[in-house]
Amino acid sequence: MSISTSGGEQRRPSVVSTGKKAPAGGKPAEGEKGAGAKPAGTAAKSGSTAKSASTGKSGSTGKSGSGARVPAGRGGGSGGAGAGGKKPQQRRPVTPVKVSQGRSWGSIGLFVAVGVVAVAIIGYGAYAVVQNGKKWEDKAAAIDGIVNFRESDPSVVEPFPGKNSHEPGPQTYKVNPPVGSSHNNAWQNCMGDVYDAPIANEHAVHSLEHGAVWVTYKSDLPADQVEQLAGKVRGNEYMLMSPVQNLDRAISIQAWGYQLKLDSATDGRIDDFVEALRQNASMEPGAPCSGGITATGTTPRDNVPGDQQQPVPPAGG
Amino acid sequence: MISVATEPGTVATAAVPADDEVAGRGSGRWAAGTAPLALAILLGLLLGFAGGLLAPGLLRPGDGSPEAGFARDMSSHHAQAVEMSILAHEKTTDPDVRTLAADIALTQQAQIGIMQTWLKQWDLSPTGRQPRMAWMPDGAGTIKNGLMPGMATDAQRAELRAATGRDFDALFLQLMLDHHLGGIHMAEGVLELSDDEQVTELAKSMVAGQKKEIQLIQTLQGRIGTR
Repeated sequence: MSISTSGGEQRRPSVVSTGKKAPAGGKPAEGEKGAGAKPAGTAAKSGSTAKSASTGKSGSTGKSGSGARVPAGRGGGSGGAGAGGKKPQQRRPVTPVKVSQGRSWGSIGLFVAVGVVAVAIIGYGAYAVVQNGKKWEDKAAAIDGIVNFRESDPSVVEPFPGKNSHEPGPQTYKVNPPVGSSHNNAWQNCMGDVYDAPIANEHAVHSLEHGAVWVTYKSDLPADQVEQLAGKVRGNEYMLMSPVQNLDRAISIQAWGYQLKLDSATDGRIDDFVEALRQNASMEPGAPCSGGITATGTTPRDNVPGDQQQPVPPAGG
Repeated sequence: MISVATEPGTVATAAVPADDEVAGRGSGRWAAGTAPLALAILLGLLLGFAGGLLAPGLLRPGDGSPEAGFARDMSSHHAQAVEMSILAHEKTTDPDVRTLAADIALTQQAQIGIMQTWLKQWDLSPTGRQPRMAWMPDGAGTIKNGLMPGMATDAQRAELRAATGRDFDALFLQLMLDHHLGGIHMAEGVLELSDDEQVTELAKSMVAGQKKEIQLIQTLQGRIGTR
């Protein structure tokens, strides 16, 4: 009796437990069934070990156990198959497809959005860099009224026919003031020198070749404007300034192959010209402005060292 | 036992086609994922390429930077030292002054080349839009008659060209002493403002080199009796 009751106690928990755990899922129910079967087996064996009095009871326990197993198995199996087998079959195929479709469209949209933003950033960066790194030729071409003889009339810049780049004696230039062509072996000192009298074209053109900007003005330009121009030149190497005879405009500024004629020293294009062309227009990058002719006078000086020149009286302090 | 064995089996057989279906439709999902993946890789490559292309342009010193201002202004400052030193190398009769003059002229001309190369590498013009010394906090006040600190005036340059003998040596040494003091001020200025290694390295060498030359100039001034 004690055994049967114990067997009954063993059965009952297994039935109750499967009944409880069956709704939870199929797999735990399967485990329950296996677990439920083994104690039944062991109960049968223990019944066989007990032998005499326990056989009928053990059989009853076996039957009741099997009887308990079947509904438990069916209940658990059907419940388990229903919960764990059929439902995943319906859920798994349907849900992943929907999710995958949603994700792919979402990621495409994200990539496109990120792409648009990235391209916009790159575009702005490229714009800034290109603007910053604009070629000096483009900056010069953008100046209103500038003449680029390198393009419009190269003969103004090239050596005279049959002549060398360096020629002694006076030269006759096509444009006034000249912007290129054959010139004297010595250059005019262009260490921000402000000459108060006309200088030799033949020396000044050599300064242009070295990258200098030559600021020239009509001799009757008002003193305040002359001083305003001098303020842009003084202290700046690759700059020189002098009055020029027979100038058709108040002010003319030159670099090698470039010229800009103006009416006022306050014209903002002067700074544009200097920024674009000073040094940049050089035909010999790194060539000096010091060690040149420091004297005024329109006759070129041949084979004369710079230090044997008459010193230029200080112009404007 | 049998029912127990079959039931997991049915569950298993039921699960197998479900896995196949998932795997089959998963490959479809992979196919659908290739386009954005390829787009992502392409975009990444483009971004990396463009970044590499643009980063130096965005990171290098700009037109109004202390580095650019220093490179431009020190080039001009140096140019005048070269002019005076070439004049001294040609005119002096003192071997020590001639050696000092050659040292200054060659060193500073080479440094001009270094600084001009920076500007080219930074895609900047040798001429800036800002006034001289505007890159230094106290810069504007140091400009006298358009000249940066220590620079000789037109009158002093003319005086130097005209001078001869001991007078020339005395004037050259004094003008160069003042010039170096101004140059050191500018080099120390950029050391406070910049952490660009190539700029600070050169500026440090200028401070050290010109301080040593000032000592030599003072020694020479003592010898010729002008100090």
